[in-house]
Amino acid sequence: MYEGPATDDLRPMTEIQIRQTREFVASLSQKSQAYWDMVSVGDELSRELHLTPELVILYADAVEDYNPWYEGWLMNTWHKQGESPFGGAIVPPMLVSHFVLSVQFDHTRPFAVGSIHTYHDSRILAPIPVGATVRIHTRAIEKFVKRERRYVRHEATVTDVSTGTLYFTEIRDILSR
Amino acid sequence: MTATGNGAPAPAGLITRDTPVGYELTGVKKKAVIQLMGSRLWGRFNPNHWDPVYAAETGLKAPIQTGEMSTAYLSEMCVNYFGRNFFTGARMVCKYVNSAYANEVITTHGVVREKTPTDDGYRFKVEIWAQNDEGEKKTVGWVEADV
Repeated sequence: MYEGPATDDLRPMTEIQIRQTREFVASLSQKSQAYWDMVSVGDELSRELHLTPELVILYADAVEDYNPWYEGWLMNTWHKQGESPFGGAIVPPMLVSHFVLSVQFDHTRPFAVGSIHTYHDSRILAPIPVGATVRIHTRAIEKFVKRERRYVRHEATVTDVSTGTLYFTEIRDILSR
Repeated sequence: MTATGNGAPAPAGLITRDTPVGYELTGVKKKAVIQLMGSRLWGRFNPNHWDPVYAAETGLKAPIQTGEMSTAYLSEMCVNYFGRNFFTGARMVCKYVNSAYANEVITTHGVVREKTPTDDGYRFKVEIWAQNDEGEKKTVGWVEADV
């Protein structure tokens, strides 16, 4: 008899929600590879990301940061210029760090379930206006084992597609299963 | 603290050129709510962040927050204290030393450790960390910004 936690331990669910959740989790695990095996040192990847007002709100709400500087979208008003010390609305300083994850591996392949972000060294160089399109570029620079754990290290840059402004750089480590 | 009266941080932040080494920042406090941990923002492709069954199967006592969540909490504190200066030439280094579990309350902290003169003010270095109510540190690191 299963004695572990239940799907609905942390939030209320009906049977149909539980079944859908279990099906979804099972589908994730079927094609997953270890992150260590997905990345080779020297791999370079690059993608463009449009930092829409709605994407910024999605991020800010998920971390409960209600700073008005980030609001290029507001209920009732919808799209707006916004206001910050730099003029219009700007992107939260560490938002792009989260999206670097999507450029650290071939996103057309299944995600490496079980990998964990462990470290970042980030330089916030210039404010990013809400609405900008940025190019995130990553390069795998090292794979190493520490205390019998496998890590992959990337360096990343975030630049404005239109102006070439370098907004953000980062070194970050992922612990692979 | 607010300059605009709409809840925004002071544009120049709370740290001034006169702020001494040893000054303690008042952080932000958040609860690791499972609904936020399972937001589409984080992808939902890693059930360790939102599914108690999968988390248990991988040896975790509960789902864990993404590291980016505590980084965001720490950066919110830094924006309160550095204002616009945190968006121009700042540096933030974080190491995730322990997992933040669902339902834990996470509070951020900071202490000014260094203050180095520059051509036009000072570059401050602040030790930062996020911990639970029992004092267990989850994320440790430091930030630098010009004032």
